[in-house]
Amino acid sequence: MLELTDVNLYINDKVLFDNLSLKINAGEIHVLMGKNGVGKSSIAKTIMGDDTYKVEGSIRYNGKDITNLSIYERAKLGIYLLNQTPTQIEGVTNAEMLRIALSEKNGKPVDIFAFNKELENACELLELDKSFIHREINVGCSGGERKKIELLHMWILKPSFIILDEIDSGLDVDAIKLVASRIKKYYEEYNPAILIITHSSTLINTFDNFIVHILDNGKIVKEGDKSLANTVLETGFKNINALNNEHLL
Amino acid sequence: MNKLLVSDIIDLENGEYTLKVNSKDLVVNIKSNVTIYLINENLNKLDIIMQDNSNLKIYIFNKIWHNNLDVNIKQVNNSKINFNMSYTNDSDSNIVINNYLEGNNNESIINTRCVSNIGNSKIIINVNVAKDTINNIAVEDIKGINNGGFVHIEPNIIVLSNEVEANHLTTIGSLDRDAINYLLSKGISNKDAKDLLLNGFIYSNMDNYIKSLDERGEKGA
Repeated sequence: MLELTDVNLYINDKVLFDNLSLKINAGEIHVLMGKNGVGKSSIAKTIMGDDTYKVEGSIRYNGKDITNLSIYERAKLGIYLLNQTPTQIEGVTNAEMLRIALSEKNGKPVDIFAFNKELENACELLELDKSFIHREINVGCSGGERKKIELLHMWILKPSFIILDEIDSGLDVDAIKLVASRIKKYYEEYNPAILIITHSSTLINTFDNFIVHILDNGKIVKEGDKSLANTVLETGFKNINALNNEHLL
Repeated sequence: MNKLLVSDIIDLENGEYTLKVNSKDLVVNIKSNVTIYLINENLNKLDIIMQDNSNLKIYIFNKIWHNNLDVNIKQVNNSKINFNMSYTNDSDSNIVINNYLEGNNNESIINTRCVSNIGNSKIIINVNVAKDTINNIAVEDIKGINNGGFVHIEPNIIVLSNEVEANHLTTIGSLDRDAINYLLSKGISNKDAKDLLLNGFIYSNMDNYIKSLDERGEKGA
């Protein structure tokens, strides 16, 4: 589904990653972990097409080279980024934005009745007040509301590859559980590939199986299964190189 | 909603009015609580006379503005005006709003939004608070987006009184790159993303009635 091959990533001529390779197949869940500032969000933004970063190497999605595609073109292919601080858009409501996005995706105008019904059902599922449908995007919202709004957008647009960039940051325990359970429900219904960036166990442990990549010094330094993630969450990153290979794939 | 065809001078009291104006100049005399909508009208001069104890909300919306406009607002005692104007420019224009607070206990809030696509869009706001007056409030909130053209704003508050609450906020900028990228990441094209943001901006000081009329392509009265 998504394949980064020998990617060198730069920002302002500073090398962030050197020869980074990562392959995520359809329906797989992958987790990126690493210390603060190691570049996890930069990878997320690069996959989404943020032109702040200079990219060498290749990024392919479903066999298509997307290295030079714009954010819009990647989103149209089904790539979707939920980030930790969703942007506020004054004067544009969630319904307006989603109606345009959906008609672009489907190549035809939306059926307003069915669209409204779907929005209401999604709000109910996400325990989000229906008034948010016609409110400005993320304006005046709490951290928890913003994450639910982003999930609402995801639920309507139905992406096939989802990047969750610390979506659990700033949420209380109950909110994290709700967000995690709804992402799992989406996964069970639509079977997307998911790339999770996180520092907490609640979201990743919602899933039975996933592949973990530990980042350090511009490289993936260790890869493993769920047990590696939980070991790192318990012991931290400082002893990562001393870990034996029992977790490795 | 009252829809009225008017020319030159009109007295308005207690109600909501959408005005279709037959002339380039209009004088409105406001008594009690009034809301006025002026949608895609092409006035050159608008005089608003606030009677004592009157309250006016006015929404002036022009999808494309071609004219120069002089607005004169006169307030004496115990009046309140919430003046909202929003427009997109495709040529040079000059908007001058003069607000005179001549007595006591008045409130003036002036909100203006302008998107300049071509040419120079000049907005001059002069709020004048007279000598020896008390308990007046004056707020100017003027925002512009340079979208190919240039917005020029002069927010002036001239205070001759020792007791007044006055604030002004002015911003001029271009479209927010983060906001565009956010919309692109939802699968919205660059053109649609910019249109959404610009529409959101010019509707931001308008009420839902204006938005629904404009979306239906109506002119109001």
